[in-house]
Amino acid sequence: MPSYEQGRVLRRATAVPKAPRRTDRHTSRRMAAKTPRQQDRPSGRKVVLAFGIAIVAAAALVVVALVGRSDSSPPATETPVVDLAGIPQDGRVLGSAEAAVTLVEWADVQCPACRTYTEKFFPTLVTEYVRPGTVDTEFRGFPFLGEDSVKAYRFLLAAAEQDKLWDLQEALYRNQGAENEGWVTDELIRDLAAGIDGLDVDQLFVDAEREDIVAEAAGARTVGEEAGILGTPTLQIGIGDEEPYEIRIATVDELRAALDDALDG
Amino acid sequence: MSDRALRIAAATVALAGVAVAGYLTLVHFEDEALVCVAGGGCETVQESEYAEIAGIPVALLGLGAYLVMLGLLVWDTAHARLAASVVALVGLLFSLYLLALQLFVIEAVCVWCLANDVVIAPLLAVLTVLRLRS
Repeated sequence: MPSYEQGRVLRRATAVPKAPRRTDRHTSRRMAAKTPRQQDRPSGRKVVLAFGIAIVAAAALVVVALVGRSDSSPPATETPVVDLAGIPQDGRVLGSAEAAVTLVEWADVQCPACRTYTEKFFPTLVTEYVRPGTVDTEFRGFPFLGEDSVKAYRFLLAAAEQDKLWDLQEALYRNQGAENEGWVTDELIRDLAAGIDGLDVDQLFVDAEREDIVAEAAGARTVGEEAGILGTPTLQIGIGDEEPYEIRIATVDELRAALDDALDG
Repeated sequence: MSDRALRIAAATVALAGVAVAGYLTLVHFEDEALVCVAGGGCETVQESEYAEIAGIPVALLGLGAYLVMLGLLVWDTAHARLAASVVALVGLLFSLYLLALQLFVIEAVCVWCLANDVVIAPLLAVLTVLRLRS
Protein backbone atom coordinates (compact mmCIF):
# COMPACT_ATOMS: atom_id res chain seq x y z
CA MET A 1 0.00 0.00 0.00
CA PRO A 2 1.48 3.41 -0.90
CA SER A 3 2.25 5.93 1.83
CA TYR A 4 0.59 9.41 1.95
CA GLU A 5 3.69 11.00 0.39
CA GLN A 6 3.84 8.35 -2.29
CA GLY A 7 0.12 8.91 -2.99
CA ARG A 8 0.64 12.66 -3.52
CA VAL A 9 3.47 11.95 -5.90
CA LEU A 10 1.34 9.46 -7.80
CA ARG A 11 -1.64 11.89 -8.00
CA ARG A 12 0.65 14.64 -9.16
CA ALA A 13 2.21 12.30 -11.68
CA THR A 14 -1.21 11.42 -13.14
CA ALA A 15 -3.00 14.78 -12.76
CA VAL A 16 -0.32 17.20 -13.85
CA PRO A 17 0.06 16.08 -17.47
CA LYS A 18 -3.75 16.11 -17.96
CA ALA A 19 -4.15 19.86 -17.62
CA PRO A 20 -1.89 20.84 -20.53
CA ARG A 21 -3.51 18.14 -22.75
CA ARG A 22 -6.96 19.70 -22.17
CA THR A 23 -5.56 23.13 -22.98
CA ASP A 24 -3.97 21.77 -26.20
CA ARG A 25 -7.26 20.24 -27.30
CA HIS A 26 -9.15 23.50 -26.75
CA THR A 27 -6.48 25.42 -28.57
CA SER A 28 -6.55 23.04 -31.55
CA ARG A 29 -10.37 23.26 -31.64
CA ARG A 30 -10.11 27.03 -31.76
CA MET A 31 -7.53 26.73 -34.51
CA ALA A 32 -9.80 24.33 -36.45
CA ALA A 33 -12.63 26.85 -36.38
CA LYS A 34 -10.43 29.25 -38.26
CA THR A 35 -9.81 26.99 -41.32
CA PRO A 36 -8.31 27.55 -43.73
CA ARG A 37 -5.30 28.83 -41.81
CA GLN A 38 -5.98 32.47 -41.07
CA GLN A 39 -2.32 33.42 -41.12
CA ASP A 40 -2.54 32.39 -44.82
CA ARG A 41 -5.34 34.87 -45.56
CA PRO A 42 -4.56 37.13 -48.55
CA SER A 43 -4.82 40.88 -48.01
CA GLY A 44 -7.74 42.87 -49.44
CA ARG A 45 -5.39 44.39 -51.98
CA LYS A 46 -4.35 40.94 -53.18
CA VAL A 47 -8.01 39.90 -53.54
CA VAL A 48 -8.88 42.95 -55.64
CA LEU A 49 -5.76 42.35 -57.73
CA ALA A 50 -6.66 38.65 -58.24
CA PHE A 51 -10.18 39.42 -59.43
CA GLY A 52 -8.81 42.19 -61.67
CA ILE A 53 -6.43 39.62 -63.17
CA ALA A 54 -9.40 37.26 -63.66
CA ILE A 55 -11.30 39.86 -65.69
CA VAL A 56 -8.21 40.73 -67.76
CA ALA A 57 -7.47 37.01 -68.30
CA ALA A 58 -11.03 36.37 -69.51
CA ALA A 59 -10.83 39.36 -71.86
CA ALA A 60 -7.45 38.16 -73.16
CA LEU A 61 -8.89 34.69 -73.73
CA VAL A 62 -11.74 36.18 -75.78
CA VAL A 63 -9.32 38.28 -77.84
CA VAL A 64 -7.04 35.26 -78.50
CA ALA A 65 -10.12 33.19 -79.42
CA LEU A 66 -11.34 35.82 -81.89
CA VAL A 67 -7.96 36.58 -83.45
CA GLY A 68 -6.68 33.03 -83.54
CA ARG A 69 -9.89 31.33 -84.60
CA SER A 70 -9.13 28.70 -87.17
CA ASP A 71 -11.15 27.46 -90.09
CA SER A 72 -11.93 24.03 -88.71
CA SER A 73 -13.19 22.60 -91.98
CA PRO A 74 -10.82 19.99 -93.37
CA PRO A 75 -8.97 20.79 -96.59
CA ALA A 76 -10.53 19.96 -99.94
CA THR A 77 -10.07 16.42 -101.21
CA GLU A 78 -9.06 16.16 -104.87
CA THR A 79 -10.13 12.62 -105.68
CA PRO A 80 -13.80 11.56 -105.64
CA VAL A 81 -14.60 9.38 -102.61
CA VAL A 82 -16.16 6.76 -104.87
CA ASP A 83 -16.62 6.21 -108.61
CA LEU A 84 -20.22 6.82 -109.66
CA ALA A 85 -19.65 6.25 -113.38
CA GLY A 86 -22.03 3.76 -114.90
CA ILE A 87 -24.49 3.77 -111.98
CA PRO A 88 -27.98 4.87 -113.12
CA GLN A 89 -29.31 8.17 -111.70
CA ASP A 90 -32.87 9.41 -111.92
CA GLY A 91 -33.35 12.84 -110.41
CA ARG A 92 -32.53 12.47 -106.72
CA VAL A 93 -32.12 8.71 -106.84
CA LEU A 94 -28.85 6.88 -107.38
CA GLY A 95 -29.11 3.20 -108.27
CA SER A 96 -31.26 0.69 -110.04
CA ALA A 97 -35.01 1.26 -110.28
CA GLU A 98 -35.34 -2.45 -109.53
CA ALA A 99 -33.66 -2.14 -106.09
CA ALA A 100 -35.78 -3.66 -103.33
CA VAL A 101 -34.51 -1.30 -100.63
CA THR A 102 -34.03 2.49 -100.66
CA LEU A 103 -31.72 4.35 -98.32
CA VAL A 104 -33.04 7.91 -97.92
CA GLU A 105 -30.45 10.50 -96.85
CA TRP A 106 -31.63 13.83 -95.46
CA ALA A 107 -28.64 16.15 -95.62
CA ASP A 108 -27.28 19.67 -95.67
CA VAL A 109 -24.21 20.25 -97.85
CA GLN A 110 -22.76 22.53 -95.16
CA CYS A 111 -23.07 19.94 -92.40
CA PRO A 112 -19.69 18.47 -91.41
CA ALA A 113 -21.35 15.25 -90.24
CA CYS A 114 -22.83 14.83 -93.72
CA ARG A 115 -19.34 15.21 -95.16
CA THR A 116 -18.16 12.50 -92.75
CA TYR A 117 -21.03 10.28 -93.90
CA THR A 118 -20.15 10.87 -97.56
CA GLU A 119 -16.45 10.20 -97.04
CA LYS A 120 -16.66 7.23 -94.68
CA PHE A 121 -20.00 5.49 -95.25
CA PHE A 122 -21.19 6.39 -98.76
CA PRO A 123 -18.35 4.54 -100.60
CA THR A 124 -19.34 1.24 -98.91
CA LEU A 125 -23.01 1.85 -99.70
CA VAL A 126 -22.21 2.47 -103.37
CA THR A 127 -19.65 -0.31 -103.85
CA GLU A 128 -21.41 -3.09 -101.95
CA TYR A 129 -25.11 -2.29 -102.44
CA VAL A 130 -25.89 0.38 -105.04
CA ARG A 131 -23.60 -0.73 -107.86
CA PRO A 132 -24.71 -4.39 -107.57
CA GLY A 133 -28.31 -3.10 -107.77
CA THR A 134 -29.73 -4.34 -104.46
CA VAL A 135 -30.16 -0.90 -102.86
CA ASP A 136 -30.73 2.56 -104.28
CA THR A 137 -30.27 5.83 -102.39
CA GLU A 138 -32.37 8.99 -102.49
CA PHE A 139 -31.16 12.49 -101.56
CA ARG A 140 -33.53 14.80 -99.68
CA GLY A 141 -32.24 18.22 -98.84
CA PHE A 142 -32.67 19.65 -95.34
CA PRO A 143 -30.82 22.96 -95.79
CA PHE A 144 -31.13 24.31 -92.25
CA LEU A 145 -27.68 25.71 -91.53
CA GLY A 146 -27.88 28.91 -93.58
CA GLU A 147 -27.83 30.67 -96.93
CA ASP A 148 -24.96 28.61 -98.33
CA SER A 149 -27.01 25.49 -97.61
CA VAL A 150 -30.03 26.77 -99.56
CA LYS A 151 -27.90 27.94 -102.49
CA ALA A 152 -26.07 24.60 -102.68
CA TYR A 153 -29.41 22.78 -102.61
CA ARG A 154 -30.68 24.90 -105.53
CA PHE A 155 -27.73 23.69 -107.60
CA LEU A 156 -28.22 20.10 -106.45
CA LEU A 157 -31.85 20.24 -107.59
CA ALA A 158 -30.68 21.75 -110.89
CA ALA A 159 -28.14 18.93 -111.26
CA ALA A 160 -30.93 16.43 -110.56
CA GLU A 161 -32.64 17.75 -113.71
CA GLN A 162 -29.66 16.32 -115.59
CA ASP A 163 -29.44 13.20 -113.36
CA LYS A 164 -26.13 14.39 -111.89
CA LEU A 165 -27.17 15.35 -108.36
CA TRP A 166 -25.01 12.69 -106.71
CA ASP A 167 -21.88 13.70 -108.61
CA LEU A 168 -22.28 17.35 -107.62
CA GLN A 169 -23.11 16.68 -103.97
CA GLU A 170 -20.06 14.41 -103.61
CA ALA A 171 -17.84 17.12 -105.14
CA LEU A 172 -19.36 19.81 -102.87
CA TYR A 173 -18.70 17.77 -99.72
CA ARG A 174 -15.07 17.31 -100.73
CA ASN A 175 -14.75 21.09 -101.02
CA GLN A 176 -16.87 22.01 -98.00
CA GLY A 177 -15.90 25.38 -96.49
CA ALA A 178 -16.47 27.10 -93.16
CA GLU A 179 -20.14 27.32 -92.24
CA ASN A 180 -22.01 30.31 -93.69
CA GLU A 181 -18.84 32.06 -94.86
CA GLY A 182 -20.12 32.30 -98.42
CA TRP A 183 -18.04 29.36 -99.67
CA VAL A 184 -20.76 28.17 -102.09
CA THR A 185 -19.73 30.60 -104.84
CA ASP A 186 -20.77 30.49 -108.50
CA GLU A 187 -17.09 30.08 -109.30
CA LEU A 188 -16.72 26.99 -107.09
CA ILE A 189 -19.84 25.40 -108.54
CA ARG A 190 -18.73 26.17 -112.10
CA ASP A 191 -15.32 24.57 -111.39
CA LEU A 192 -16.81 21.45 -109.81
CA ALA A 193 -19.55 21.10 -112.42
CA ALA A 194 -17.00 21.38 -115.24
CA GLY A 195 -15.29 18.28 -113.85
CA ILE A 196 -18.48 16.17 -114.02
CA ASP A 197 -18.86 14.21 -117.24
CA GLY A 198 -22.12 14.83 -119.04
CA LEU A 199 -23.19 17.83 -116.96
CA ASP A 200 -24.14 20.93 -118.97
CA VAL A 201 -22.79 23.73 -116.77
CA ASP A 202 -24.65 26.59 -118.43
CA GLN A 203 -27.94 24.69 -118.20
CA LEU A 204 -27.17 23.98 -114.53
CA PHE A 205 -26.94 27.70 -113.82
CA VAL A 206 -30.15 28.40 -115.75
CA ASP A 207 -32.04 25.68 -113.86
CA ALA A 208 -30.69 26.84 -110.50
CA GLU A 209 -32.57 30.14 -111.03
CA ARG A 210 -35.82 28.44 -112.07
CA GLU A 211 -38.76 29.62 -109.99
CA ASP A 212 -39.89 26.14 -108.96
CA ILE A 213 -36.36 25.09 -107.95
CA VAL A 214 -35.75 28.31 -105.99
CA ALA A 215 -39.07 27.81 -104.18
CA GLU A 216 -38.38 24.14 -103.47
CA ALA A 217 -34.92 24.87 -102.01
CA ALA A 218 -36.29 27.71 -99.88
CA GLY A 219 -39.12 25.54 -98.52
CA ALA A 220 -37.09 22.34 -98.05
CA ARG A 221 -36.32 23.01 -94.41
CA THR A 222 -40.02 23.30 -93.59
CA VAL A 223 -40.78 20.13 -95.54
CA GLY A 224 -38.10 18.28 -93.54
CA GLU A 225 -39.38 19.63 -90.24
CA GLU A 226 -42.91 18.54 -91.14
CA ALA A 227 -41.50 15.07 -91.88
CA GLY A 228 -40.02 15.04 -88.36
CA ILE A 229 -36.42 15.57 -89.39
CA LEU A 230 -34.39 16.98 -86.48
CA GLY A 231 -30.88 17.02 -87.88
CA THR A 232 -28.50 15.80 -90.55
CA PRO A 233 -27.59 13.33 -91.76
CA THR A 234 -30.82 11.48 -91.06
CA LEU A 235 -30.92 8.07 -92.71
CA GLN A 236 -34.12 6.17 -93.41
CA ILE A 237 -34.69 2.79 -94.97
CA GLY A 238 -37.66 2.25 -97.28
CA ILE A 239 -38.74 -1.23 -98.32
CA GLY A 240 -41.11 -1.25 -101.27
CA ASP A 241 -44.07 1.03 -100.62
CA GLU A 242 -43.75 0.85 -96.85
CA GLU A 243 -43.21 4.01 -94.80
CA PRO A 244 -39.41 4.52 -94.40
CA TYR A 245 -38.01 3.99 -90.91
CA GLU A 246 -35.04 5.80 -89.40
CA ILE A 247 -31.74 4.05 -88.69
CA ARG A 248 -28.94 5.27 -86.44
CA ILE A 249 -25.47 4.10 -87.27
CA ALA A 250 -22.05 4.91 -85.87
CA THR A 251 -19.90 2.52 -87.92
CA VAL A 252 -19.78 1.16 -91.47
CA ASP A 253 -20.56 -2.31 -90.08
CA GLU A 254 -23.75 -0.96 -88.53
CA LEU A 255 -24.74 0.46 -91.92
CA ARG A 256 -24.13 -2.96 -93.51
CA ALA A 257 -26.17 -4.68 -90.77
CA ALA A 258 -29.11 -2.26 -91.24
CA LEU A 259 -29.12 -2.74 -95.02
CA ASP A 260 -28.72 -6.54 -94.77
CA ASP A 261 -31.61 -6.62 -92.30
CA ALA A 262 -33.80 -4.67 -94.72
CA LEU A 263 -32.80 -6.89 -97.66
CA ASP A 264 -33.61 -10.02 -95.64
CA GLY A 265 -37.07 -8.51 -95.10
CA MET B 1 -24.25 26.34 -43.97
CA SER B 2 -21.00 24.92 -42.63
CA ASP B 3 -17.64 25.36 -44.32
CA ARG B 4 -17.46 21.61 -44.93
CA ALA B 5 -20.90 21.50 -46.56
CA LEU B 6 -19.94 24.39 -48.85
CA ARG B 7 -16.75 22.62 -49.87
CA ILE B 8 -18.69 19.42 -50.60
CA ALA B 9 -21.24 21.41 -52.64
CA ALA B 10 -18.45 23.12 -54.61
CA ALA B 11 -16.68 19.80 -55.23
CA THR B 12 -19.94 18.18 -56.41
CA VAL B 13 -20.65 21.03 -58.84
CA ALA B 14 -17.02 20.97 -60.04
CA LEU B 15 -17.32 17.19 -60.66
CA ALA B 16 -20.47 17.84 -62.71
CA GLY B 17 -18.39 20.37 -64.67
CA VAL B 18 -15.69 17.74 -65.25
CA ALA B 19 -18.38 15.36 -66.58
CA VAL B 20 -19.89 17.95 -68.97
CA ALA B 21 -16.55 19.27 -70.24
CA GLY B 22 -15.24 15.69 -70.50
CA TYR B 23 -18.20 14.68 -72.66
CA LEU B 24 -17.79 17.74 -74.90
CA THR B 25 -14.06 16.97 -75.28
CA LEU B 26 -14.86 13.39 -76.30
CA VAL B 27 -17.46 14.56 -78.83
CA HIS B 28 -14.96 17.04 -80.25
CA PHE B 29 -12.46 14.28 -81.05
CA GLU B 30 -15.07 11.67 -82.03
CA ASP B 31 -16.04 12.68 -85.55
CA GLU B 32 -17.93 9.55 -86.61
CA ALA B 33 -20.70 10.04 -84.06
CA LEU B 34 -21.43 13.59 -85.24
CA VAL B 35 -24.90 14.77 -86.01
CA CYS B 36 -25.92 18.32 -86.87
CA VAL B 37 -29.13 18.92 -84.95
CA ALA B 38 -31.68 21.50 -86.05
CA GLY B 39 -32.44 23.90 -83.21
CA GLY B 40 -29.93 22.11 -80.96
CA GLY B 41 -26.80 22.17 -83.07
CA CYS B 42 -24.49 20.83 -80.36
CA GLU B 43 -22.14 19.30 -82.83
CA THR B 44 -22.54 22.27 -85.16
CA VAL B 45 -21.21 24.45 -82.37
CA GLN B 46 -18.52 21.90 -81.55
CA GLU B 47 -17.44 21.82 -85.21
CA SER B 48 -17.46 25.58 -85.69
CA GLU B 49 -14.34 27.67 -86.09
CA TYR B 50 -14.87 28.91 -82.53
CA ALA B 51 -14.55 25.43 -81.03
CA GLU B 52 -10.78 25.73 -80.78
CA ILE B 53 -8.36 28.39 -79.55
CA ALA B 54 -4.93 28.13 -81.14
CA GLY B 55 -5.63 24.49 -81.90
CA ILE B 56 -6.79 23.65 -78.37
CA PRO B 57 -10.45 22.58 -78.08
CA VAL B 58 -12.45 24.95 -75.87
CA ALA B 59 -13.99 21.89 -74.21
CA LEU B 60 -10.52 20.67 -73.19
CA LEU B 61 -9.73 24.10 -71.68
CA GLY B 62 -12.96 23.82 -69.66
CA LEU B 63 -12.05 20.33 -68.48
CA GLY B 64 -8.65 21.60 -67.35
CA ALA B 65 -10.22 24.53 -65.48
CA TYR B 66 -12.65 22.25 -63.57
CA LEU B 67 -9.81 19.90 -62.61
CA VAL B 68 -7.74 22.85 -61.36
CA MET B 69 -10.72 24.07 -59.28
CA LEU B 70 -11.15 20.58 -57.81
CA GLY B 71 -7.45 20.46 -56.92
CA LEU B 72 -7.66 23.88 -55.25
CA LEU B 73 -10.73 22.78 -53.27
CA VAL B 74 -8.78 19.80 -51.95
CA TRP B 75 -5.80 21.99 -51.10
CA ASP B 76 -8.13 24.43 -49.27
CA THR B 77 -5.91 27.21 -48.03
CA ALA B 78 -7.11 30.80 -48.14
CA HIS B 79 -4.92 31.41 -51.19
CA ALA B 80 -6.28 28.25 -52.85
CA ARG B 81 -9.86 29.46 -52.27
CA LEU B 82 -9.02 32.81 -53.82
CA ALA B 83 -7.35 31.10 -56.79
CA ALA B 84 -10.38 28.80 -57.28
CA SER B 85 -12.72 31.84 -57.30
CA VAL B 86 -10.48 33.55 -59.84
CA VAL B 87 -10.49 30.49 -62.15
CA ALA B 88 -14.29 30.22 -61.80
CA LEU B 89 -14.70 33.94 -62.63
CA VAL B 90 -12.53 33.58 -65.76
CA GLY B 91 -14.61 30.50 -66.66
CA LEU B 92 -17.91 32.31 -66.18
CA LEU B 93 -16.86 35.35 -68.21
CA PHE B 94 -15.55 33.14 -71.02
CA SER B 95 -18.75 31.06 -70.91
CA LEU B 96 -20.77 34.27 -71.37
CA TYR B 97 -18.72 35.04 -74.49
CA LEU B 98 -19.35 31.48 -75.79
CA LEU B 99 -23.07 31.84 -75.07
CA ALA B 100 -23.16 35.11 -77.03
CA LEU B 101 -21.39 33.35 -79.93
CA GLN B 102 -23.96 30.56 -79.93
CA LEU B 103 -26.92 32.94 -79.84
CA PHE B 104 -25.77 35.67 -82.21
CA VAL B 105 -22.97 34.33 -84.45
CA ILE B 106 -23.28 30.57 -84.91
CA GLU B 107 -27.05 30.80 -84.37
CA ALA B 108 -27.17 27.29 -82.96
CA VAL B 109 -27.43 26.55 -79.27
CA CYS B 110 -25.45 23.66 -77.84
CA VAL B 111 -27.41 21.97 -75.06
CA TRP B 112 -24.29 20.56 -73.37
CA CYS B 113 -22.59 23.96 -73.54
CA LEU B 114 -25.63 25.41 -71.72
CA ALA B 115 -25.22 22.64 -69.13
CA ASN B 116 -21.70 23.97 -68.59
CA ASP B 117 -23.13 27.47 -67.97
CA VAL B 118 -25.56 25.98 -65.46
CA VAL B 119 -22.58 24.45 -63.63
CA ILE B 120 -20.08 27.32 -63.71
CA ALA B 121 -22.42 30.03 -62.38
CA PRO B 122 -23.33 28.33 -59.04
CA LEU B 123 -19.75 27.09 -58.70
CA LEU B 124 -18.50 30.67 -58.80
CA ALA B 125 -21.15 31.65 -56.23
CA VAL B 126 -20.18 28.86 -53.79
CA LEU B 127 -16.46 29.47 -54.24
CA THR B 128 -16.97 33.18 -53.63
CA VAL B 129 -18.85 32.47 -50.37
CA LEU B 130 -16.03 30.12 -49.34
CA ARG B 131 -13.47 32.75 -50.22
CA LEU B 132 -15.31 35.42 -48.17
CA ARG B 133 -15.40 33.08 -45.17
CA SER B 134 -11.67 32.32 -45.20
